[in-house]
Amino acid sequence: MAAAARWKPLVPWVSGVLLLLAALGLQSQLYSGQERTVTAIFMFVALAQAWNLLGGYAGYASFGQVVFFGIGGYFTAVAMTHWHLSFWTCLVLGGVVAALFGALIGMPLLRLRGHYFAIATLGVAEGIREVVTNLPGLTGGGAGITLPTVGDQATTAYLGNDGFYLLFLALAALAVLVSGLVAGSRAGYALRAIHQDEQAAAAMGVNTTRIKVLTFALSGLITGLVGATYAFQQVTIFPERLFDVDITVLMVVMVVIGGSGTVLGPLVGAVILQFLSEYLRQNYTSYHIFLLGAIIIVAVVLLPQGAVNYLRDARRTGEYSLLANVRRYRL
Amino acid sequence: MTATPVLRTEHLSRRFGGLNAVSDVSLSIPEGETVGVIGPNGAGKSTLINLVTGHLKPSSGRVLIDGRDLTGARPWVITHAGVARTFQIVKPFRGMTVRENVAIGILYGPHGVRRMSHAREQATRVLEETNLADLAERAPGELSVADARRLEFAKALALRPRLLLLDEVMAGLRHREIESSLELIRTLKTRGITIVVVEHVMRAILAVSDRVVVLHHGKVLTEGRPRDVLSDPQVVEAYLGHRYAQRRTGGS
Repeated sequence: MAAAARWKPLVPWVSGVLLLLAALGLQSQLYSGQERTVTAIFMFVALAQAWNLLGGYAGYASFGQVVFFGIGGYFTAVAMTHWHLSFWTCLVLGGVVAALFGALIGMPLLRLRGHYFAIATLGVAEGIREVVTNLPGLTGGGAGITLPTVGDQATTAYLGNDGFYLLFLALAALAVLVSGLVAGSRAGYALRAIHQDEQAAAAMGVNTTRIKVLTFALSGLITGLVGATYAFQQVTIFPERLFDVDITVLMVVMVVIGGSGTVLGPLVGAVILQFLSEYLRQNYTSYHIFLLGAIIIVAVVLLPQGAVNYLRDARRTGEYSLLANVRRYRL
Repeated sequence: MTATPVLRTEHLSRRFGGLNAVSDVSLSIPEGETVGVIGPNGAGKSTLINLVTGHLKPSSGRVLIDGRDLTGARPWVITHAGVARTFQIVKPFRGMTVRENVAIGILYGPHGVRRMSHAREQATRVLEETNLADLAERAPGELSVADARRLEFAKALALRPRLLLLDEVMAGLRHREIESSLELIRTLKTRGITIVVVEHVMRAILAVSDRVVVLHHGKVLTEGRPRDVLSDPQVVEAYLGHRYAQRRTGGS
């Protein structure tokens, strides 16, 4: 028992490394269509993890999270096209700009809670999309912008399927690592306390505003890095795609299905949803969205706390019945 | 009285629309004193605490902690100035264990411990002090009313405060449970912590207070030694009504 307890803290690290090695080994087994599908899964693992930092741990559901994705992507596009910076410089700067933007809008918006915060963030994302659309000189406007990826215009050689597979894998690993570190840290305690009762958290000495703003910025940083990489991968980007509210919705759904406020939840949610979506698209092409929606509804009704939290509770109490679970959470 | 009082309020007032919830309250509480605050429902007791701890902003007046003007400062600033409180309606962090609930205060309180392992050790010590050690790994939702109130207490103590504001920590408790809360308050008194006890349980107030302040309609009705205050006809009237007071004092 004592030996088992001593090794227990290592379990997440070891399983994380094994998972990473498995993902690296998997690459050579995939043909290019599959490789792109798995790459998209990595992207959404990173995005869902980033959303979970504030939305899951602190309960502040941002419905405009895609704004960081768009800012990271458009910063990269503009900087590579107009200022001839290398992609790697743009990647880092794009993340930083998204983080700064998060801190900036976080200061006023994080005074709002619940639905009000959700709506305000949604408004910001829609507003920034309009701004980007209406600056054709800089961003190409609604017609989109094409990144220099070939010839002597290219500042960085295009990465190709294999390169993007590795880069998105690295971002997913980074996001999981950050999420895990936050969960076990002082800040993680504060965020969970804020989730439960913000007044009580402040009474315990937590500077609630500061921790919320910093977490929103961190969440923006990761989302911005992913957006920058996505823009380079797509080569030509449009405001409708980079600021698409569907991307935010996917992040939220993945976190909710997997289990919000956990490290494993967004990972599980992203993998399940992307696989399911791809499977349905290939086998039930004409009504795959309908089926996916129906499955999401059933999953949320039966497992309102998410798959990971359900399994944790069930293991603790020995109660695996889904009906009992529905009753316990009274949806 | 030359020493700076730990807590001082000057003409503190708070209006909610047309209601003067707290009006012109001036108090001075020196270090080490235990002050009981009593008054009928709606007298402004909880509002007074909320004004001191920054959970409500005063309409006018000042709050001084150790002589520092902290009027309208945010709650965590007040906490860092050495003030801890409990909430009348218990506010446990439900998704966390009892130990984690207490650890928050150790991590973020005025003595801000940074190492998680140290925080956990200190949390265990606070739980032992408050007789919650056996429940350390439980979820707050599984606790009895008495233990949930005790957890509020433990969370406040985790901050190692110099001034402790207790908002009805004994409400709804049974005789024996009240005794153990009083025992805890007495222990804290011996450590020199300044305590403000807001309470409905009169026996409890009498047992621990050096001084009692009576609030009525947001104003200080009277203050003084516990026995004197309780026999004050004004106080009897505020609590039990005009006619009862007349009968007791034999007045016209």
